[in-house]
Amino acid sequence: MATPELPAVTEPFPIFTLAHRYLLYDIGTISHIRAHHNIPGVLIGLLPQAPQQNVFSGIPLELMPEEARLLCEKGVGYIVDDVRAHKQGFLDRQMGEEERRVLREGLRRQGVVAARQVEEKAEGKKLAAMQRRVESGGSVENWNDLPEDMLRPASRAGRSKKGKKGQNRDSGTATPEAGVNGEAMKPDGEDTMNGHAVKPHASADGDGDEEESLFGSPMNSFPARPLTHRSQDTSTASRRDPEPYGITPATSYPPLTATPPPSRSSAVNPTTPTEEPATDVHQLPDVPPSYPLYRHLHSEGYFLMPGLRFGCQYTAYPGDPLRFHSHFLCNGMGWDDEFDLLDLVTGGRMGTGVKKGYLLGGIERKDEERGGRRGRVRKGGEEVVDVGKGSREKEVVRTFCIEWGGM
Amino acid sequence: MDDVDEDVIPRSGPPVEDIDLSEEFQDFRFLGTATGNDVKIPKRGEKDFEPHATALQSNTLATSRQAMHNALSFQRVHAPKGVALATFHPDSNMAYAYNPKGSPLFARMGQVFSKGEDPLGDDGLRGQRMWFLPEEVIYLVERGTVDLRWPATEDDEDERGLPMSLQAAYAMFLGEQQGLGALIQWYDPTDTHVPTAPQSPSNDAEIRVTYDVWKPGSATFKKSDHGPPDFRIAVVDARETTAPSLQQLSSLLATLPYEPSKTDAQLYQKLKHGYKNVILAIVDQGVVSYLRISDAAFGREKLYERAGRGPGAKRGGRGGRGRGRGR
Repeated sequence: MATPELPAVTEPFPIFTLAHRYLLYDIGTISHIRAHHNIPGVLIGLLPQAPQQNVFSGIPLELMPEEARLLCEKGVGYIVDDVRAHKQGFLDRQMGEEERRVLREGLRRQGVVAARQVEEKAEGKKLAAMQRRVESGGSVENWNDLPEDMLRPASRAGRSKKGKKGQNRDSGTATPEAGVNGEAMKPDGEDTMNGHAVKPHASADGDGDEEESLFGSPMNSFPARPLTHRSQDTSTASRRDPEPYGITPATSYPPLTATPPPSRSSAVNPTTPTEEPATDVHQLPDVPPSYPLYRHLHSEGYFLMPGLRFGCQYTAYPGDPLRFHSHFLCNGMGWDDEFDLLDLVTGGRMGTGVKKGYLLGGIERKDEERGGRRGRVRKGGEEVVDVGKGSREKEVVRTFCIEWGGM
Repeated sequence: MDDVDEDVIPRSGPPVEDIDLSEEFQDFRFLGTATGNDVKIPKRGEKDFEPHATALQSNTLATSRQAMHNALSFQRVHAPKGVALATFHPDSNMAYAYNPKGSPLFARMGQVFSKGEDPLGDDGLRGQRMWFLPEEVIYLVERGTVDLRWPATEDDEDERGLPMSLQAAYAMFLGEQQGLGALIQWYDPTDTHVPTAPQSPSNDAEIRVTYDVWKPGSATFKKSDHGPPDFRIAVVDARETTAPSLQQLSSLLATLPYEPSKTDAQLYQKLKHGYKNVILAIVDQGVVSYLRISDAAFGREKLYERAGRGPGAKRGGRGGRGRGRGR
């Protein structure tokens, strides 16, 4: 999938667990697993730039245990106990003085950049207003007389005004600071894209070491990339520093660091008592008995999301749910499970009614191995890691699609 | 869908006005058009049926993903003037702020504790100290309304703790709460009044009301005197709960006051509202479904009297439901 603009994410990346849930806060990781691992997750947070609606949600992203488990089994993710990490890092003062100082300084810089952006935005608005006056005067030809650099911010402000008029007004009245945020962020699209594109080459520009130590970390997760690239602009840096804005980062990593498990073999075998304090490498997420079906459909290229909206376990999408409607309503079953015929009718009618197929599936079990299969999947461990490769042929998942005949 | 034959497979989707946009994962390219109550998102037909490896399709997908990425990259900043600074208080798992300003939300959220209740005791600042429940804090942080800080330590030079990230807020305020039905979207925008009932962890099978909810602009809601809520919501985890038993429902309904709807309401509305009702918010890994459970008020209403309908009742509007009467 060609999405070169999105930033690269170092694998394995941490998946944060709290209250038996698996969450991601770093936008880089969220975009990464979507584009490269076909895992959409569910956004459960609020979009600060549009808080008064529930059509679009924001960070954090909640992963189903199945999704977290799959990422762990692939070796691209690992689980971090986030409550413990924060308690130890911040409350128990395990974080060093140096890290605290770096964090403060980094946030202060971002705050200055944000403040400057707001200033620039205000100037841009002024220019846009001037230009509108020119425009309404009917002398459009005069545009050619304006210097190029005057036009640029003005035209951008004018465009965002056109497209997002309602948004600005609404958020402005709801919360003043949200309005400011909205303004500050509005140079969207290409700016942000450039920010990410610029980022990997930042070290080549010979920037300050401090910025490097903070932003060049392997976590790749510091939240302010769209803003930071502006601080590299020497022409603005030479100006006076405005009073920095306060910043609420989306993620705590850094300053916290998560250490991936050293290797898969030692991860399964808890022989080393000196594990990293913030990680729990022995933990694979517990998954429900429908996991084999999940993994099977995922391996076939489907995107799966929670199925509650259609009364099933998963909805299966042929591609990214951003672009496609789901095809199947899926329920995982044990091979010898009994179920009501009425369930089939219900599911079949439901699926057909919303133009989807009702799909049942589970591990096909040969006669000699009856008993205990599901239990073993649930209890976890290494045994289901590389299903579908040769020796695992007994774990063939079969699926059945039910459609209402409507006769 | 009044006159649709039951046995005919529906060929078209539901009527456009019935589509709930939050039911499907929406394309972030339309975020700019979805603000306030004024949502102008293409209803259907914007998505493709299946991938067909065309450049057009993959470009559109890339654009959508980029739009999503940009929208989610938004950074919460706080102007130095008028920022509402809140501080995390680990012992009570709440946060406090002194005279928070800058948002009308503070008129409806948070509370000032009395002498005996304030976790920091009755110092001179108690009257200005407003406390926020865990859910309130997260909501305010997500909105970018407060600048949340860790407790200050002796070497924080400006007496402000380190800024707390959104992630830290989730970890600290929700991490400890077992039985919190889930991280649900408790801030459904139509109900910006926030949870009151501080929840007691319910590890037993009992289902309890998690939140009392008032509609925005509710006339009865004051911080000092809440008045009866518009809705009561019980949060249930879809993966850990089976369908509630009659016993569970009965004990849940027993906790509610007797609240029949007004006598001038429509008959059908009155029946639906019941003597008492509660909304179950069923959470499946971040996706929420709402079910209303009510003690249907058949004992109060005379179904055989056709007169005396409420003023709003339209004859034609109910014709299609007629088959219910024959049973």
